[in-house]
Amino acid sequence: MKSAQKELLFFAPYLVAASFLSAMSWPLDAPTPAATFGTFAQGRYLNGMELASEGVLVHPAEEGELVFAYDTSRDSAVLPSTIGSYAIVQHPRDMVGLYAELAAGSVSSAPVKLKTESVLGVAGQSGLTRGPGLFFGVYDRRAGRWVNPVLLLPPLADNSAPAIRSVQLTGAANRFKLGDSKILPQGTYTVSADVSDVLSAAWTRNNAAPYYIRLMIDGEKTAEFTYDVASVREGRLIISEKAPGNIEHYLEADGKLLLAKRFFSHGRSIIELVVRDYAGNESRMSWTLAVQ
Amino acid sequence: MEESGKKKLGIALVVLAGIVYFFVFSIPLPKELVFSPTWSLKLSGPLALEAPAQQPAPADASARGQKGQADMAKAPSKPLVSAPFIKGDAAENSGLIPFNFGKLFGYFSRDGKLGFSQGLPYGLALSRSAYVAYDQTPESLVLKGPDGADRLKLNETGYPFYSGERLFMMRPGQNSVAELDSDGRPVWQREFPSIITAFASNPNLAVLGLMDGNLVGIGSKGEELIKFSPGGSRIPGIYGCAVSPDGELVAAISGLDQQRLIVLEKRTTAYRVTFHHWLSSDFRRPVSMAFTPDSRYLVYEEPDGFGIYSRASRSESHVSSWTVKRLGYSLPGRDILLVIEGQGGDRKAVLGASPQGRRMFTVPFNAADGFLAEEDSALFLGMAQNDGSSEIIRVDLREE
Repeated sequence: MKSAQKELLFFAPYLVAASFLSAMSWPLDAPTPAATFGTFAQGRYLNGMELASEGVLVHPAEEGELVFAYDTSRDSAVLPSTIGSYAIVQHPRDMVGLYAELAAGSVSSAPVKLKTESVLGVAGQSGLTRGPGLFFGVYDRRAGRWVNPVLLLPPLADNSAPAIRSVQLTGAANRFKLGDSKILPQGTYTVSADVSDVLSAAWTRNNAAPYYIRLMIDGEKTAEFTYDVASVREGRLIISEKAPGNIEHYLEADGKLLLAKRFFSHGRSIIELVVRDYAGNESRMSWTLAVQ
Repeated sequence: MEESGKKKLGIALVVLAGIVYFFVFSIPLPKELVFSPTWSLKLSGPLALEAPAQQPAPADASARGQKGQADMAKAPSKPLVSAPFIKGDAAENSGLIPFNFGKLFGYFSRDGKLGFSQGLPYGLALSRSAYVAYDQTPESLVLKGPDGADRLKLNETGYPFYSGERLFMMRPGQNSVAELDSDGRPVWQREFPSIITAFASNPNLAVLGLMDGNLVGIGSKGEELIKFSPGGSRIPGIYGCAVSPDGELVAAISGLDQQRLIVLEKRTTAYRVTFHHWLSSDFRRPVSMAFTPDSRYLVYEEPDGFGIYSRASRSESHVSSWTVKRLGYSLPGRDILLVIEGQGGDRKAVLGASPQGRRMFTVPFNAADGFLAEEDSALFLGMAQNDGSSEIIRVDLREE
């Protein structure tokens, strides 16, 4: 009960924010996430989400003002754009929308005053995207950080719970995959997890990030990450205020999340992992180990 | 009688004043600036190349500076001399000049030899010493020399670009940039809170403009030398930036409602704002701006022409013109700034203007795209047509 209360308290600000800010609408019809906020791809965290689509019109998620338009067919000689053609829109409450990877030649710097039915461009495939669609990011000017767009948008229908592919304990000389082994030599181990949101788009990034991860060891909350905001710390963009600043302390080379480093002492140990996606679907797994 | 004497005296004084004025205050007519086409190099298709055409008789094709116009495109261009392509070490040592206009890029020499020419790919990083041509989603990035030979493979993800002779990598997300050394390894890399909307560099300083309105200067070892938010506008943002070749000045066009020009000057310990000017522009796209090679003037795009900031007088002036296509050139050794202006359709012109904002001459030509390079006292004008054919003309300057 106490844990549930804490959890409610943790999510309360975002629920409140969502109720106030859900004036935003999805920027294109039939949005199908191909990559979620926080997904680690091409050596960085995605500071927005990719929506798979092609040839459909892209609209502002909320009324606003066009502040910057970049079209690869016109502006690439000035500075190359790895997010392709894009439009930046100043929305109310100092929120800034980034609409990127649009079809080349479809972005113009007019009109300036935008309504939700205005057209920013056409979903396409420009920049370093893996497939056609739209990259949508929301930047909070006041806080100087990126916000997970799902916090501000109407919920999407999604019945697929995120996948917990594996959890591993890595010691100085050995590695144990939970489930395969129930006996663990006493010692210090890092706990890493291979988790992924399950997406149904025609193309997706690998290892789409879930929205929430919690690791419990022997009833104690050992790690908890919420993919809600992204900000720069020491010259690197990091996801979640609670995540370590150094990616190498958070991610293994193969993309698995490094959740904790802990000494496992003689006796019984229970490890529980909870993972939720942006739609609230939850996966929960636990393992009991005999530490010898 | 007395009245008549006064009259004579008056007339004499007027005549005397005229003589004095003629000898003391008269300004000699300025010498005419003559543009003499020396050779033309036809690039008749993405890969079909011709030798340069020598043009020994410049008089009939010269542009009379400050008085008239001459249509450079009418200059005769029959090839007289067959020139071999430049290959291997010769390419590295011959001071080749890179070009990128129309649908072609490559290198040519001052004397009109073609070093290398190729159709434009999706993206291109081009400098005097090397280039990287890449696809939209490149599987590998290969740095090549002006002779087209592979130099090294870049183990990086992103889009490379040159600023001067420095090679940078725009990383995925458009909020991260790295500088690469001659071995293709990152010298420094920075990830920024928001999108990079502007970039400029000189050999010691890289300046980045961000969507959130910050202007950041990074030293050659990755140290942060400038962190500045121009502010003052309703909506912050950096739309263009420039750094002078000598590193003394940094400029940016920032904000919306109202947009303004900011110039920072290097002081003992930091860069300080020394000039700002509210602009009539409302650009909501990348804005072109550049310092002249001698660092004396900043030229920046304006809605109905271009602006000029003078470092010496700390003042700005405006030149009315057609749409500015390319800017940031100056006439070697002279206080004349050059831009290529689009005059509608394929009509274009090289426009020369004084730093005080006076239009001095135009050299019109017909082309879908134009290109200008300068070296010593020579100008190289590139003209690309819609059918894919292109031509480069060397124009030497002299006063008569």
